[in-house]
Amino acid sequence: MAKNTVNAPLTPAVLHILLALSVQERHGYGIMKQVEADSQGKVKMGPGTLYGSLKRMIDAGLIRESDKRVDPEMDDERRIYYKITGLGQKALTAELERYREVVTVAQQKRLSPNTSAYAL
Amino acid sequence: MPYKRSLQRYRYWYAKLLRLYSKPYHERFGEGMEQTFSDLLRERAALNRGLLSCALWICVETFAGIVRENLTVIPMRNKNIIRIALATAFLLSIPLVAMQFNDEMAWSLTDFIVAGGLLFGAGLTYELIARKAGNIAYRVAVGLAVVTALLLVWVNLAVGIIGSENNPANVMYLGVLAVGIIGAIIARLQPRGMARALFAMALAQILVPVIAMIIWRPQVTLRVVEVFGHLFFVALFVFSALLFRRASATNAQ
Repeated sequence: MAKNTVNAPLTPAVLHILLALSVQERHGYGIMKQVEADSQGKVKMGPGTLYGSLKRMIDAGLIRESDKRVDPEMDDERRIYYKITGLGQKALTAELERYREVVTVAQQKRLSPNTSAYAL
Repeated sequence: MPYKRSLQRYRYWYAKLLRLYSKPYHERFGEGMEQTFSDLLRERAALNRGLLSCALWICVETFAGIVRENLTVIPMRNKNIIRIALATAFLLSIPLVAMQFNDEMAWSLTDFIVAGGLLFGAGLTYELIARKAGNIAYRVAVGLAVVTALLLVWVNLAVGIIGSENNPANVMYLGVLAVGIIGAIIARLQPRGMARALFAMALAQILVPVIAMIIWRPQVTLRVVEVFGHLFFVALFVFSALLFRRASATNAQ
């Protein structure tokens, strides 16, 4: 099961969340802002999508709840932080490798955003 | 801060919305989602922008998430029934919204209940009959037959097919539906028998105005538009019958 989770392609939401958690633990709002920053504003998740993805990722063992603590930059509410697991790291690495392979193939075919084949 | 009271109010309603999640989900993520909701509104307030539109957007997005999450824990058949119910609710929301802007549009509660019953019933009939069919022609045939029957009842109730909706001759169209239902039962939903049932419905559709004119003459006469209306329904029933026949031929192969 774990092997399948690692090898299966990730959805865009899961990929972005794993990327956001790859550097440090974050709470829900922190993940949301990091995803927005990483994607340069192209990916915007609402709480419904974010927490639905977090639930599935926890169930799949890709991330886990870290602990509850206060974010010094926010208010004084205690927040649940999420952290990437070893399995999550492997899944992220495998997905990025897939992307690299696709880019390599595209480069071999000399495809770029300006070519007609790309436009098609 | 002036926005704090609005934020508290919106958060209160958002917390109510979150209760639509399953209990385990709500206990696990409810608090975090509420905090994220507050964080997003605070960010908005810091930019001196209105909170209402943002709160509404988050509520709609979360509601979509609630539907998705609840659908994952429901068996496939029930999921389809919920989809039919949601589609019915969406279709009924169209006249409901239109009534707010157009005074000529005035549906009563009974109208909504009848329309809802018809739409949900049609969807459920399709789901129950076509669900297990692997044959596409069969599914399309069922869909077409159900939609045609639904249209027949709807038009009849709304404006009447012969004369006005109060014309007693229109009650005879229930006979067309009865022919279809009895035919489907006799055929046990097998495509060959269903083709015959649909041809019988087409024939019944032709016979209704003929019989009506014999019984209620001279009060009942057919206008050109009514003749074309009948031909339209006959064509749909015949097309559905031909699709059933095609499904039967495909099964035989």
